[in-house]
Amino acid sequence: MRLSRGVAVVGAGMTRFHHKLHAGKTSRELFVEAAREAAGSVDSGCELGDVEALFVGNFSSDAFEHQAHTAPLMADWLGLCPRAATRVEDACASSGVAVNMGALAIASGAYDVVLVGGVEKMRNLTTEGVTDTLAMAADDIYEVSAGFTFPGLYASLATAHFARYGSSWEQLAAIAIKNHHNGALNPKAHFQSEIMETARRRGERRGMVFSDEMEFLRSSLNPVIAYPLRLFDCCPVSDGAAVVILSAAEVSKRFTDTPVYISGLGQASDAMSLHDRADLTTLRATRVAAEQAYGMAGVSADDIDVADVHDCFTIAEVMATEDLGFFPRGEGGRAAVEGRTALDGDRPVNPDGGLKAKGHPVGATGAAMTYEMFLQLRGEAGRHQVEGAEVGLTHNVGASGGTVAVQVYGR
Amino acid sequence: MSESEFTVEAFRDFLVEGRIMGSRCKGCGAISLPPRPICTQCGGQDLEWVELEGKGTVRAYTVIHVPLTRMRDRCPYACGVVEFDEGPRISGLILGVSEDEEMAVGSRVEVEFVKEGERTALYFRLV
Repeated sequence: MRLSRGVAVVGAGMTRFHHKLHAGKTSRELFVEAAREAAGSVDSGCELGDVEALFVGNFSSDAFEHQAHTAPLMADWLGLCPRAATRVEDACASSGVAVNMGALAIASGAYDVVLVGGVEKMRNLTTEGVTDTLAMAADDIYEVSAGFTFPGLYASLATAHFARYGSSWEQLAAIAIKNHHNGALNPKAHFQSEIMETARRRGERRGMVFSDEMEFLRSSLNPVIAYPLRLFDCCPVSDGAAVVILSAAEVSKRFTDTPVYISGLGQASDAMSLHDRADLTTLRATRVAAEQAYGMAGVSADDIDVADVHDCFTIAEVMATEDLGFFPRGEGGRAAVEGRTALDGDRPVNPDGGLKAKGHPVGATGAAMTYEMFLQLRGEAGRHQVEGAEVGLTHNVGASGGTVAVQVYGR
Repeated sequence: MSESEFTVEAFRDFLVEGRIMGSRCKGCGAISLPPRPICTQCGGQDLEWVELEGKGTVRAYTVIHVPLTRMRDRCPYACGVVEFDEGPRISGLILGVSEDEEMAVGSRVEVEFVKEGERTALYFRLV
């Protein structure tokens, strides 16, 4: 499949993702902040009024803020009514799918300029309230009723992966350490400190001293959330928004001399419940969506210079790097231990810190990944820049893999 | 075996009787558990009820330490994906497990029906 019209990213903005910083704000203020930054980032200038339609990724402002019908609300607060505004809900892949919807809307010829964003204001609820709300993205009748939480679903995938391939929790820890390192270099990240720094700070309060990261990660200060996953295997609960401005390739030069092109995109679904999937060590939807995106872009996994993958839990990054074809099945964890996915490795993954350290305001995550590729492919990512990145990939997963959206980017 | 439709309610009603009932495709023979109106293997819509014995093997599991609100009093508890000996899989709470390494992928389990108000829950226990 090919798009009948090229699509470019011409601007991108995001709030910092954080658990406290946005305490006094609601979704609409976060979205407006990200949209203003996106418009301001357009090199040759862009008024919000240049936008012809909006696609807004949002998982559950319904439960988090008692507010449904999110898309026209954002159009309203951006002063963009009566333009078409559509909410996209595919759990944690909401705005990754919204990016695809925006690109397809441009490719169709209906619009030249589209605003795509995502937002989630999660911290109004307690941890248990957030746990209950996230679980709504699993099969409520047949999966949540069995006691599964979201960490529990990914923890189960981890036990299946460990049993099949002999992979281990120590490999997962290497991913947490790497992503916190990258997050420390990213001014938009939720956590901007190395794990060792956190170990020192938290240890001091309790009179504990750790000689290295692993000693801290094995300690009681890193409690088990859902065996075998511990606290530092899980992404944090964050508030935030991200917005990108897409245009038809043929009009993109009006906005910038250096657009980032969406050269391929893909999307797939899978059975909602883990028990209805034949193989619990892989996300089939990732493999299908990636195959579509690679095919459209005319590239293979080996051509990807930089990737943002969906690491809601450390095991998810292992599976993603295998399913996207970066490493053979069963080898993703070892590759992380060997440093191959580090900023200076041969397959840099999650240079922005990933969901693990950058944070995961569910509905904002896919758009934030596109934001990152806009920076990376223009050489504007600062201290977390992957040198010479020319081909990028984003991979956004809904829930335990029921939805996956993938995009490939080029210059 | 039964004329009822392949619905969530029918599945639950069978549990109250202490029976685990799935749907079997008359076209390709694939069993769906819980039952479904359309076979996911071949798209067939001509289905019949089939009863499962209730013995199986754990294919993936976790021990939950940060629970759902309604599960607060049980914590920690184990849940996982169980593959019945007849082939189909289902998610279930695994009773009597509170230590992380008390069980493993490959552990054998059997069904335990637990009455909870009007309903009967389908749980598992290690054998």
